[in-house]
Amino acid sequence: MKLLLIEDEPLLLDEMDLYLTEQGYRCEKATNYKEGEEKITLYEYDVVVLDITLPGGNGLALLKLLKDQFRDAGVLIVSAKDSLSDKVAGLGLGADDYITKPFYLEELNARINALMRRRSFSGNNRMKIDMLVIDTAAQEVHWKDHIIALTKKEYELLLYFIVNKNRVVSKQSIAEHLWGDHYDMADNYDTVYVHTMNLRKKITAHSGTDYIKTVYGMGYKFMAP
Amino acid sequence: MKLLHRTTRDFLLATIVILLITGAGLYLFLQDEVTAEMNEQLALQAATVSRQLEEGKDAHYLFTEISKTTDPVRLDPVYGDTLLYDPIQKVTEDYHYLDIVKNIRGENYHIKVMTTYIGWDEYFKMIFTALLGTTLLLAAASILINYFSSRKIWKPFFLNLESIKNFSVSNDEALKLYDSPIKEFKEMQHTLYDMTQRSHREYNALREFTENASHEIQTPLGIIQSKLDRISQLNVSEEMSRHITQAKSGVDRLKRMNKNLLLLAKLDNNTFADKQMVWFDEVINQHLETMEELFTVKEIAASTHIQRTPVLSNPYLCEILVSNLISNALRYTEEGGLINISLSTEQFQISNTGTELDFPAEFLFDRFRKSTKHVQSTGLGLAIVQQICQLNSWKVNYHYADQQHVFTVLF
Repeated sequence: MKLLLIEDEPLLLDEMDLYLTEQGYRCEKATNYKEGEEKITLYEYDVVVLDITLPGGNGLALLKLLKDQFRDAGVLIVSAKDSLSDKVAGLGLGADDYITKPFYLEELNARINALMRRRSFSGNNRMKIDMLVIDTAAQEVHWKDHIIALTKKEYELLLYFIVNKNRVVSKQSIAEHLWGDHYDMADNYDTVYVHTMNLRKKITAHSGTDYIKTVYGMGYKFMAP
Repeated sequence: MKLLHRTTRDFLLATIVILLITGAGLYLFLQDEVTAEMNEQLALQAATVSRQLEEGKDAHYLFTEISKTTDPVRLDPVYGDTLLYDPIQKVTEDYHYLDIVKNIRGENYHIKVMTTYIGWDEYFKMIFTALLGTTLLLAAASILINYFSSRKIWKPFFLNLESIKNFSVSNDEALKLYDSPIKEFKEMQHTLYDMTQRSHREYNALREFTENASHEIQTPLGIIQSKLDRISQLNVSEEMSRHITQAKSGVDRLKRMNKNLLLLAKLDNNTFADKQMVWFDEVINQHLETMEELFTVKEIAASTHIQRTPVLSNPYLCEILVSNLISNALRYTEEGGLINISLSTEQFQISNTGTELDFPAEFLFDRFRKSTKHVQSTGLGLAIVQQICQLNSWKVNYHYADQQHVFTVLF
């Protein structure tokens, strides 16, 4: 999987690069409009992560360029602008998703993953970890031949854990992923705890293995073999 | 008191006082002059009578009485008023007389000459009537002049007053003022133009500052957040992890606050002016569904009474309004509490059980106003709710009754 990250803030770009590389993606970077333009015209990518405000030009112009060339890349816009009209403009030009700054890298990863799944719906829509199989088309989770009955939230939570496997995922980022970021509920991460516990119990009941570890004070970690 | 009434009243009072003084003066002056004139005439008449008597002629004049007397000679004349019967008009009339005792050819004569005059009360009546008439005429004229000319002169003033009332710095529309030929009004107009333009500029600068600052803060916040995430992937001690968690929660609050400030700036900027039909009930149901578990964890019972209701609004703002009000209710309901949500075509009401506010309710919708018990809150959620309501010309109310916080949005 080849990603192109276009972002002008070097620290953020490096962090994104590091994170996504750890997740098994091959990342290329561009820090301004010109570099982005060059890379888009020369190479093919699976997903382009695109910042809208770039030195030397507007990211939306790059998006247009990309779509004009009939490139099959998925596009995820990253922007500090979060009004609906900005989103509509981006999505209208053919972007697949939109994430606003500042975001959790786990969330970015989850979005890229979802984007990949959507784009390759004809092929692989099953994820397999150990004997745990997740059918993203049917939204079902199987352990060997058994279906593990999960609520919608538990299913989303599991998917989020798996996408960010082997990494510490914070309660905040889970809360934001599940409920969106406009719920003013910083003091209510108990809910995340309750959902995680339920999910843990259900999976352990079938598999006998506890994949989800609590990392003291930090959050949770989905351990995959 | 209206300006027109005030000026007319003052003018009338002044007129009445002046006319009273002139009236009294005129009366006294006339009385003085007329008396002096009559006395002169009577003295002349008396002198003529006594000269003719001395010449031995018979002095027969109208209104002259001459009689011999034994009274001592009195050269100082005595003036007085008397009444005489007029047989033709058949009324008694006022007369002024002069009485004198003179020695003429060795004999004392009593000479009394009289002349008719209009009585003082007649004078008084005349003057009073004339002045009263003048007063009334002047008053009527002044009222009419004041009314018509003032109405014309003040018209731009009132029109301008109306447009100032409707003026708002947050609205980009410039102040429209009507021209007036009056110098003072012109000056006022210029001052107002200057003032409104200045406040527009200052307001816009402030607004832009908030928006730009919020934008610029986002990237460094993103860096801090991702770096903290990076650190939390490392093997850290328990103490370190506590510090990291605290730093993270700080970043989280800052992030949320920044987001809300940006939203407020955008609302001020009227970025969401486009309105369309939104099913309000669907927005509520969707949020309730998402938040179901949050209620369950706090063991909050939610009862709903939701009617199908279309509203005209920006859909994004509708969502924020609903989510802010519901999450506000969630935050301030104690465990095992109760939340009531009702929606009709007239209003959206959400109430939750909870203890009373620890500050006056009228500040509830102010920015950064929050309960001391919930420091985690940004204190901007309800300010945003109010702003959205204003933008949609809705009205949001709060009251506390039966241990319940009740928020009502009137469509």
